[in-house]
Amino acid sequence: MTMVEFFSFLPYGKYAFYVWLAYGVSTLTIITLFVTAKRNHSKTLRFLQNKYSRS
Amino acid sequence: MWKWIQRQASPKVFYSTCTRLIPWFFWPFISFLIIGLYWSLVVSPADYQQGDGYRIIFIHVPSAILSMMVYAVMAIAGGIGLIWQIKMAEVVAKVSAPIGAGFTIIALATGAIWGKPMWGAWWVWDARLTSELVLLFLYLAYMSLNSAFDNPKTAAKASSILAIVGLINLPIIHYSVVWWNTLHQGYSVGTGGIKDPDMQIALALMFVASIFLYALYVSIKARTEVLVREQNSRWVQEEVRSLVS
Repeated sequence: MTMVEFFSFLPYGKYAFYVWLAYGVSTLTIITLFVTAKRNHSKTLRFLQNKYSRS
Repeated sequence: MWKWIQRQASPKVFYSTCTRLIPWFFWPFISFLIIGLYWSLVVSPADYQQGDGYRIIFIHVPSAILSMMVYAVMAIAGGIGLIWQIKMAEVVAKVSAPIGAGFTIIALATGAIWGKPMWGAWWVWDARLTSELVLLFLYLAYMSLNSAFDNPKTAAKASSILAIVGLINLPIIHYSVVWWNTLHQGYSVGTGGIKDPDMQIALALMFVASIFLYALYVSIKARTEVLVREQNSRWVQEEVRSLVS
Protein backbone atom coordinates (compact mmCIF):
# COMPACT_ATOMS: atom_id res chain seq x y z
CA MET A 1 0.00 0.00 0.00
CA THR A 2 1.45 3.37 -1.01
CA MET A 3 1.28 6.56 1.10
CA VAL A 4 -1.20 8.01 -1.41
CA GLU A 5 -3.56 5.04 -0.93
CA PHE A 6 -3.08 5.05 2.86
CA PHE A 7 -4.12 8.70 3.22
CA SER A 8 -6.97 8.53 0.70
CA PHE A 9 -9.56 8.31 3.53
CA LEU A 10 -8.90 12.03 4.21
CA PRO A 11 -10.78 14.79 2.32
CA TYR A 12 -9.63 15.15 -1.34
CA GLY A 13 -9.24 11.36 -1.79
CA LYS A 14 -6.38 10.43 -4.12
CA TYR A 15 -4.86 13.93 -3.72
CA ALA A 16 -5.22 13.98 0.10
CA PHE A 17 -1.61 12.94 0.76
CA TYR A 18 -0.20 15.72 -1.46
CA VAL A 19 -2.61 18.48 -0.36
CA TRP A 20 -2.22 17.82 3.39
CA LEU A 21 1.55 17.29 3.06
CA ALA A 22 1.84 20.72 1.36
CA TYR A 23 -0.26 22.45 4.02
CA GLY A 24 1.61 20.57 6.77
CA VAL A 25 5.07 21.55 5.49
CA SER A 26 3.96 25.21 5.20
CA THR A 27 2.49 25.22 8.72
CA LEU A 28 5.68 23.69 10.10
CA THR A 29 7.87 26.31 8.36
CA ILE A 30 5.68 29.20 9.59
CA ILE A 31 5.64 27.88 13.19
CA THR A 32 9.42 27.26 13.15
CA LEU A 33 10.06 30.87 12.00
CA PHE A 34 7.70 32.22 14.67
CA VAL A 35 9.13 30.11 17.53
CA THR A 36 12.72 30.93 16.51
CA ALA A 37 11.96 34.67 16.41
CA LYS A 38 10.26 34.59 19.84
CA ARG A 39 13.04 32.44 21.38
CA ASN A 40 15.75 34.76 20.02
CA HIS A 41 13.96 37.76 21.52
CA SER A 42 13.71 36.11 24.96
CA LYS A 43 17.36 34.99 24.76
CA THR A 44 18.47 38.52 23.87
CA LEU A 45 16.49 39.99 26.76
CA ARG A 46 18.08 37.48 29.21
CA PHE A 47 21.56 38.19 27.84
CA LEU A 48 21.11 41.96 28.16
CA GLN A 49 19.62 41.64 31.64
CA ASN A 50 22.68 39.65 32.79
CA LYS A 51 25.00 42.15 31.13
CA TYR A 52 23.37 45.16 32.83
CA SER A 53 23.19 43.44 36.23
CA ARG A 54 26.97 42.81 36.11
CA SER A 55 27.81 46.40 35.27
CA MET B 1 3.31 60.62 6.54
CA TRP B 2 6.81 61.56 5.27
CA LYS B 3 7.68 62.95 8.71
CA TRP B 4 6.47 59.72 10.33
CA ILE B 5 8.73 57.70 8.00
CA GLN B 6 11.69 59.98 8.77
CA ARG B 7 11.12 59.54 12.51
CA GLN B 8 11.47 55.75 12.06
CA ALA B 9 15.19 56.26 11.38
CA SER B 10 15.61 56.62 15.15
CA PRO B 11 16.15 53.15 16.73
CA LYS B 12 14.08 54.05 19.79
CA VAL B 13 11.11 55.25 17.70
CA PHE B 14 11.42 52.28 15.33
CA TYR B 15 11.50 49.84 18.28
CA SER B 16 8.34 51.30 19.84
CA THR B 17 6.58 51.40 16.43
CA CYS B 18 7.34 47.69 15.94
CA THR B 19 6.06 46.91 19.43
CA ARG B 20 2.82 48.81 18.79
CA LEU B 21 2.31 47.25 15.33
CA ILE B 22 2.63 43.59 16.38
CA PRO B 23 -1.07 43.12 17.38
CA TRP B 24 -2.14 45.15 14.29
CA PHE B 25 -0.37 42.56 12.13
CA PHE B 26 -1.11 39.45 14.21
CA TRP B 27 -4.92 39.64 14.34
CA PRO B 28 -5.47 40.53 10.64
CA PHE B 29 -3.07 37.67 9.77
CA ILE B 30 -5.07 35.18 11.86
CA SER B 31 -8.41 36.48 10.47
CA PHE B 32 -7.33 36.40 6.82
CA LEU B 33 -5.68 32.99 7.32
CA ILE B 34 -8.82 31.39 8.82
CA ILE B 35 -11.16 32.84 6.17
CA GLY B 36 -8.58 32.13 3.43
CA LEU B 37 -8.19 28.49 4.49
CA TYR B 38 -11.97 28.07 4.62
CA TRP B 39 -12.27 29.52 1.10
CA SER B 40 -9.34 27.44 -0.18
CA LEU B 41 -10.30 24.09 1.29
CA VAL B 42 -14.11 24.24 1.53
CA VAL B 43 -15.70 26.95 -0.66
CA SER B 44 -13.54 26.68 -3.81
CA PRO B 45 -14.71 23.98 -6.22
CA ALA B 46 -12.46 21.20 -7.51
CA ASP B 47 -10.57 21.98 -10.72
CA TYR B 48 -11.96 20.34 -13.88
CA GLN B 49 -8.51 19.02 -14.86
CA GLN B 50 -6.45 18.78 -11.65
CA GLY B 51 -9.26 17.76 -9.28
CA ASP B 52 -8.58 18.67 -5.64
CA GLY B 53 -4.81 18.53 -6.15
CA TYR B 54 -4.81 22.13 -7.37
CA ARG B 55 -5.65 23.39 -3.81
CA ILE B 56 -1.89 23.48 -3.14
CA ILE B 57 -1.69 26.67 -5.26
CA PHE B 58 -3.45 28.63 -2.48
CA ILE B 59 -0.23 28.42 -0.47
CA HIS B 60 2.22 27.91 -3.31
CA VAL B 61 1.36 31.06 -5.31
CA PRO B 62 1.25 33.57 -2.36
CA SER B 63 4.51 32.20 -0.91
CA ALA B 64 6.20 32.33 -4.35
CA ILE B 65 5.10 35.97 -4.82
CA LEU B 66 6.20 36.82 -1.27
CA SER B 67 9.58 35.12 -1.82
CA MET B 68 10.26 37.65 -4.60
CA MET B 69 8.59 40.60 -2.88
CA VAL B 70 10.60 40.11 0.34
CA TYR B 71 13.80 39.92 -1.71
CA ALA B 72 12.92 43.22 -3.40
CA VAL B 73 12.20 44.81 0.02
CA MET B 74 15.49 43.41 1.36
CA ALA B 75 17.51 44.79 -1.57
CA ILE B 76 15.77 48.20 -1.49
CA ALA B 77 16.21 48.49 2.30
CA GLY B 78 19.84 47.42 1.90
CA GLY B 79 20.30 50.07 -0.80
CA ILE B 80 18.75 52.76 1.44
CA GLY B 81 21.10 51.70 4.26
CA LEU B 82 24.03 51.80 1.85
CA ILE B 83 23.26 55.24 0.34
CA TRP B 84 21.72 57.18 3.24
CA GLN B 85 23.38 55.22 6.10
CA ILE B 86 20.03 54.61 7.80
CA LYS B 87 20.64 51.89 10.37
CA MET B 88 16.97 50.87 10.61
CA ALA B 89 16.93 50.14 6.86
CA GLU B 90 19.86 47.78 7.48
CA VAL B 91 17.82 46.13 10.25
CA VAL B 92 14.81 45.62 7.94
CA ALA B 93 17.07 44.14 5.25
CA LYS B 94 18.80 41.79 7.70
CA VAL B 95 15.63 40.46 9.37
CA SER B 96 13.86 40.04 6.01
CA ALA B 97 16.41 37.47 4.77
CA PRO B 98 15.36 34.45 6.89
CA ILE B 99 11.68 35.29 6.37
CA GLY B 100 12.17 35.45 2.59
CA ALA B 101 14.11 32.18 2.73
CA GLY B 102 11.16 30.65 4.62
CA PHE B 103 8.70 31.75 1.92
CA THR B 104 11.05 30.41 -0.77
CA ILE B 105 11.29 27.03 1.01
CA ILE B 106 7.47 26.88 1.20
CA ALA B 107 7.17 27.79 -2.51
CA LEU B 108 9.74 25.16 -3.55
CA ALA B 109 8.37 22.44 -1.24
CA THR B 110 4.71 22.94 -2.16
CA GLY B 111 5.67 23.19 -5.84
CA ALA B 112 7.49 19.85 -5.61
CA ILE B 113 4.54 18.26 -3.78
CA TRP B 114 2.15 19.57 -6.46
CA GLY B 115 4.52 18.42 -9.24
CA LYS B 116 4.51 14.77 -8.22
CA PRO B 117 0.80 14.00 -8.97
CA MET B 118 0.59 16.46 -11.91
CA TRP B 119 3.93 15.94 -13.71
CA GLY B 120 4.93 12.60 -12.23
CA ALA B 121 8.15 14.08 -10.78
CA TRP B 122 9.03 15.92 -7.56
CA TRP B 123 11.60 18.07 -9.37
CA VAL B 124 12.60 19.00 -12.91
CA TRP B 125 15.40 21.38 -13.95
CA ASP B 126 12.88 23.77 -15.45
CA ALA B 127 13.69 27.51 -15.78
CA ARG B 128 11.08 28.62 -13.19
CA LEU B 129 12.07 26.01 -10.60
CA THR B 130 15.80 26.53 -11.10
CA SER B 131 15.59 30.34 -10.85
CA GLU B 132 13.48 30.03 -7.66
CA LEU B 133 16.16 27.67 -6.25
CA VAL B 134 18.79 30.30 -7.13
CA LEU B 135 16.69 32.78 -5.10
CA LEU B 136 16.95 30.47 -2.07
CA PHE B 137 20.74 30.31 -2.53
CA LEU B 138 20.84 34.12 -2.74
CA TYR B 139 19.01 34.37 0.59
CA LEU B 140 21.40 31.83 2.16
CA ALA B 141 24.43 33.68 0.74
CA TYR B 142 23.07 36.99 2.10
CA MET B 143 22.62 35.49 5.60
CA SER B 144 26.07 33.85 5.55
CA LEU B 145 27.76 37.05 4.40
CA ASN B 146 25.87 39.15 6.96
CA SER B 147 27.00 36.91 9.82
CA ALA B 148 30.59 36.64 8.56
CA PHE B 149 31.60 40.08 9.87
CA ASP B 150 31.87 41.23 13.49
CA ASN B 151 31.19 44.84 12.55
CA PRO B 152 27.46 45.23 11.69
CA LYS B 153 28.22 48.20 9.41
CA THR B 154 30.67 46.22 7.25
CA ALA B 155 28.30 43.23 7.27
CA ALA B 156 25.38 45.39 6.11
CA LYS B 157 27.50 46.99 3.38
CA ALA B 158 28.77 43.70 1.92
CA SER B 159 25.43 41.89 2.12
CA SER B 160 23.48 44.84 0.69
CA ILE B 161 25.71 44.87 -2.41
CA LEU B 162 25.04 41.13 -2.82
CA ALA B 163 21.27 41.69 -2.42
CA ILE B 164 21.27 44.48 -5.03
CA VAL B 165 23.25 42.39 -7.52
CA GLY B 166 20.88 39.47 -6.89
CA LEU B 167 17.89 41.62 -7.93
CA ILE B 168 18.63 40.53 -11.51
CA ASN B 169 17.15 37.13 -10.59
CA LEU B 170 13.64 38.55 -9.95
CA PRO B 171 12.71 39.35 -13.59
CA ILE B 172 14.29 36.02 -14.58
CA ILE B 173 11.93 34.18 -12.19
CA HIS B 174 8.91 36.23 -13.27
CA TYR B 175 9.44 35.97 -17.05
CA SER B 176 10.95 32.46 -17.08
CA VAL B 177 7.60 30.97 -18.17
CA VAL B 178 7.51 33.43 -21.11
CA TRP B 179 11.17 33.41 -22.18
CA TRP B 180 11.60 29.63 -22.11
CA ASN B 181 9.43 26.60 -22.88
CA THR B 182 8.88 25.47 -19.32
CA LEU B 183 7.03 22.54 -17.82
CA HIS B 184 5.82 24.98 -15.17
CA GLN B 185 2.47 26.47 -16.10
CA GLY B 186 2.07 30.15 -17.05
CA TYR B 187 0.85 32.90 -14.73
CA SER B 188 -1.74 31.81 -12.13
CA VAL B 189 -2.81 35.43 -11.58
CA GLY B 190 -3.97 37.83 -14.33
CA THR B 191 -4.43 37.04 -18.02
CA GLY B 192 -4.56 33.29 -18.60
CA GLY B 193 -4.70 32.64 -14.86
CA ILE B 194 -7.45 31.12 -12.75
CA LYS B 195 -10.97 32.21 -13.73
CA ASP B 196 -13.30 30.92 -11.01
CA PRO B 197 -14.30 33.81 -8.65
CA ASP B 198 -14.12 31.59 -5.53
CA MET B 199 -10.61 30.46 -6.46
CA GLN B 200 -9.60 34.10 -7.05
CA ILE B 201 -11.04 35.16 -3.66
CA ALA B 202 -9.24 32.29 -1.89
CA LEU B 203 -5.95 33.25 -3.55
CA ALA B 204 -6.42 36.94 -2.68
CA LEU B 205 -7.23 36.13 0.98
CA MET B 206 -4.17 33.89 1.34
CA PHE B 207 -2.00 36.52 -0.33
CA VAL B 208 -3.14 39.25 2.10
CA ALA B 209 -2.59 36.82 5.03
CA SER B 210 0.98 36.23 3.77
CA ILE B 211 1.69 39.97 3.64
CA PHE B 212 0.50 40.40 7.24
CA LEU B 213 2.62 37.39 8.23
CA TYR B 214 5.71 39.00 6.70
CA ALA B 215 5.00 42.31 8.44
CA LEU B 216 4.47 40.45 11.74
CA TYR B 217 7.78 38.58 11.46
CA VAL B 218 9.65 41.77 10.56
CA SER B 219 8.19 43.56 13.61
CA ILE B 220 9.15 40.72 15.97
CA LYS B 221 12.63 40.16 14.56
CA ALA B 222 13.46 43.86 14.13
CA ARG B 223 12.83 44.49 17.86
CA THR B 224 15.44 41.86 18.76
CA GLU B 225 17.93 43.22 16.23
CA VAL B 226 17.50 46.81 17.49
CA LEU B 227 18.08 45.68 21.11
CA VAL B 228 21.32 43.93 20.11
CA ARG B 229 22.62 46.85 18.03
CA GLU B 230 21.70 49.53 20.57
CA GLN B 231 22.60 47.56 23.71
CA ASN B 232 24.90 50.31 24.96
CA SER B 233 22.17 52.97 24.79
CA ARG B 234 20.50 54.13 27.97
CA TRP B 235 16.98 53.64 26.55
CA VAL B 236 17.70 49.94 25.84
CA GLN B 237 18.90 49.45 29.43
CA GLU B 238 15.70 51.07 30.71
CA GLU B 239 13.57 49.05 28.29
CA VAL B 240 15.18 45.73 29.30
CA ARG B 241 14.82 46.55 33.02
CA SER B 242 11.15 47.49 32.56
CA LEU B 243 10.43 44.32 30.56
CA VAL B 244 12.13 42.01 33.03
CA SER B 245 10.76 43.55 36.23
